[in-house]
Amino acid sequence: MKLARVGALVALLLLVTATMAATQERGITDTEIVIGSSQPLSGPAAFWGQGVGGGMDAYLKWINDQGGINGRKIRLVLRDDGYSPTRAVANVRELVERERVFAIVSLIGSANAFAVRDYIIESQVLWVTPTADANMWAGFKNKKYLFVGYPGYVDEGRILTTYAARNEGVKSVAVFYQNDLYGQKGLLGVKRGITDTKIKLATAVPYEVTDRDLSGHALKLRQSGADAVILYATPTQGALIVREMAKIGFSPKLFASFTLADPVMFQLAGDAWNGVIATAYFPVPGSDPKVDAMLETLLKINPQLRQSPFNALAGVSFLEPFIEALRRAGPGVTRDSVVRAFESMRNWNGEVIRGVTFGADRRQGLNRIYIIKSENRQYKKLTDWIEYPVGF
Amino acid sequence: MALLAQYVAGGLATGSLYALVALGIVLLYRTSRVLNFAHGDLATFGTFVAFAMITTAHWSFGLAAAGSLLVTAVVGAAFFFLIIRPAKEATLLGKIVITLGLALVLQGATAVLWGTDTKTMPFPLSDIKVYRLGEVVISQISLGSFTVGLALMGGLYVLVQRTRVGLAMRAVSQDGVAAQVLGIPVRRILALTWGLASALGAAAGILLAPVTLLDPYMMLDPFLKGFAAAVLGGIDSMPGAALGGLLLGVIEALFGAYVSVKFKTTMAFLIIVAALVLRPEGLLGREYKRRV
Amino acid sequence: MELRQRYEEDLYLVRGALGWAALLALAAVLAALPYLAPGYFLYTASLIAAHVVIAIGLNLLVGYTGQISLGHAGFVALGAYAAGILAARLHVPWGAAMAGGGLVAALFGFLVGIPALRLTGPYLTIATLGFGIAVNQVLTNWDALSGGRSGLFLPKLALAGARLHDHHIYYLFAAIAAAGIWVAVNLARSHIGRAFVAIRDSDIAAEVMGVNLTVYKTLAFAVSAFYAGVGGAMLAFLLGFLEPQLFTLFESVYYFSMIVVGGLGTIPGPVLGAVLLTILPQQLAGLKQYLPLVYGATIVFVMAVEPWGLYGRWLKIKLWFKTWPF
Repeated sequence: MKLARVGALVALLLLVTATMAATQERGITDTEIVIGSSQPLSGPAAFWGQGVGGGMDAYLKWINDQGGINGRKIRLVLRDDGYSPTRAVANVRELVERERVFAIVSLIGSANAFAVRDYIIESQVLWVTPTADANMWAGFKNKKYLFVGYPGYVDEGRILTTYAARNEGVKSVAVFYQNDLYGQKGLLGVKRGITDTKIKLATAVPYEVTDRDLSGHALKLRQSGADAVILYATPTQGALIVREMAKIGFSPKLFASFTLADPVMFQLAGDAWNGVIATAYFPVPGSDPKVDAMLETLLKINPQLRQSPFNALAGVSFLEPFIEALRRAGPGVTRDSVVRAFESMRNWNGEVIRGVTFGADRRQGLNRIYIIKSENRQYKKLTDWIEYPVGF
Repeated sequence: MALLAQYVAGGLATGSLYALVALGIVLLYRTSRVLNFAHGDLATFGTFVAFAMITTAHWSFGLAAAGSLLVTAVVGAAFFFLIIRPAKEATLLGKIVITLGLALVLQGATAVLWGTDTKTMPFPLSDIKVYRLGEVVISQISLGSFTVGLALMGGLYVLVQRTRVGLAMRAVSQDGVAAQVLGIPVRRILALTWGLASALGAAAGILLAPVTLLDPYMMLDPFLKGFAAAVLGGIDSMPGAALGGLLLGVIEALFGAYVSVKFKTTMAFLIIVAALVLRPEGLLGREYKRRV
Repeated sequence: MELRQRYEEDLYLVRGALGWAALLALAAVLAALPYLAPGYFLYTASLIAAHVVIAIGLNLLVGYTGQISLGHAGFVALGAYAAGILAARLHVPWGAAMAGGGLVAALFGFLVGIPALRLTGPYLTIATLGFGIAVNQVLTNWDALSGGRSGLFLPKLALAGARLHDHHIYYLFAAIAAAGIWVAVNLARSHIGRAFVAIRDSDIAAEVMGVNLTVYKTLAFAVSAFYAGVGGAMLAFLLGFLEPQLFTLFESVYYFSMIVVGGLGTIPGPVLGAVLLTILPQQLAGLKQYLPLVYGATIVFVMAVEPWGLYGRWLKIKLWFKTWPF
């Protein structure tokens, strides 16, 4: 009798563990959800990786301190790829096969994203917001587990140029761009905007990330006689070129990509960063109470993020839709329930990111930006959201 | 014409900084035959030391600059005493790889200590205030660093060519063993050279920082160009390093202006290779005669 | 050291039962690796194989012939892109594309060898470094040829219509690396290898003894570049994607460190160096921003403690056991 009872208990336990094992998703246990990311934490691109990675880390700590999502804590495994595609591939494979992560979040750089793209798609791991030109996904198949909450550089360039022509009366533009996919796609967008508005492209001056002497570039921009200069640059080169232009007495109207809508520019470029018109895909710090509160929370958790507030917030913006999807998927979370939760998002607002919409055939979560202008070390909103067509 | 002059002026300003980097490389190579690939990162480290002294310890710029040169010199000399000298069995290529490793360590340490974000270096001269020479515009900062660069080169020339220490350095560079036999303290001379070369690097970094902004990777390009300039001028010739740096700056500026910005580094190196094929010992270098 | 009495004994690549046993054990471990190690490690192992091929070739140039190259990433890039363009645009089978990559790189190696005839030491360093930078800039900016920064996608490796999996690729790459090692060992002890060493030790003396410097120096560059090109083609097919930033000065320095850390002028040296310097950053990736500190310190430590590299240390250990207890 006693024996039979014990036997029944054992059988029941076995049954429970068996069903648990069957429903057990990769990367999910009763207490935690493991996600992974590979970022440039060392080497010349470390500035991005440390800001974005640090922001994601601090944000998750904040989430976990509030009890996590549906009783589970989120654990982020962060690995350094030094901005090298070979190492990014190795990292992602290890994250997927050894750490058995539930999802890959972010991954900075077009080359790295291209190098791991087929692998992630084939292994059917969730991939949330690869930090690379969103236009690369248009026309790409098998995107079931991919969700992108990052703007496309081409659309952005077109909108910025159109705004310059229609609202600022710009007649000819010069473009200063980084000679990689980011800058080249931006230039392509600017060219589209120029065709739409029938203004003139005076010149396009490229630079390499390692370039630090930009006096010649500034002279070329001045020589072109353009009345506006559009910048597709990192904060370092963006600040340098603006200062060089001021030095030779060239003061065109300045326009900049959203990567330069960073408060750090006031520090780096000083007064030369006054009256710059830029785009933004989430409210820049100092212009929105929710974003400011989030930034304060991040800084409380990791004071070092003070050096790169914009990148830290960008890191948060990559995670937010994913966290929301986990929340909506409920306690019995699986990969497919998260996909369905993502697809149910309509114009969803997070603390940082706003207006995220996914759908059964829609993987591009963001299709709008707005225009801001720098005045007295603050960014001020110039327009309401401007929408662009959803590409994928 | 005015535009051409403006490009040349810009090229000279950049070139003088390449020259300063090149001088440090040449000084060390002449004496110890080591190509120091950590030169750029030593320079960055020194610049960050100056930055920390100004912003954290609130020292005046002059004091901080002097302090930074001293600290960098000590780091350079310590590197010689602690690693290069104990590894005296290492081949020349082995020593190059040791300096490569040191470069990684210094770069990593700088990034960990001060962060990877870009910073602005407080500097007593302004880069917005400009002087006009006819139609050519020169900023106060370029003029200042050009002058300081020239003064440092002149001082170094006097030190090496006119003093007893300089004489000892030259003796060590020609034949270390013979110099030791003659009673020259070879070890101390080598350590002094390491220190001096490192301090020169830091000086170049401090002069560059206000122009290039400050981050742990700021010296990557200037170091490469300085190295190329040193070789162009002749790696054992100090006037050669100065000439090579200025020439390289001007060549780059003109090629970028009139032909192609995208290929300006390629062109600079092609010209260097062409010059070397014509004069394998560099523009002002002496031909190295060997016994077989 | 054992006594060798006949010339034939000197010709054996593997000596004695112990040598054979060691070799067979190594081969067995490598063959069993796919059953022991997880898939992500096979990727790293394939990457190591490609790096071994590159390092062996670079060592033939630097270690054996004494010609410094800090532009080797240029040759690797040429091989990778030649193979990529052949396979992706001209639909050449991958085996031929890899060979093509090697040949294109070898041609450029020969061309770079010509100005190198007049240059030595730091001057040659700068000339090769310039070559590497030039290749990178041309690939970056000549979009029509290379795809520029948008990159170039390669077809997946396949045999008779069936796609090769991780372990197939690993076996294939291991076989290529083994063949590369075998050729290099034999080349090093042929008259060509001896001519290389003679040039390294003193080019004037070598010339006096009848070694044609023009022929052998350009040959050294061409052979080394061929290895680099094949290694590049392997990298290209392994990643399935090419981008000019894969082949920068940093990579040239990286390959150079491999051979010096491993041991110059030996065959096992570059193999050990390639293994160590590929695995190290991979395993340290969790260290985040401390990675360069630890990685650099390891290189400094190895070189400061053991001037002849890892293989030199191995030889000393072997010698110690042979002569023990003296």
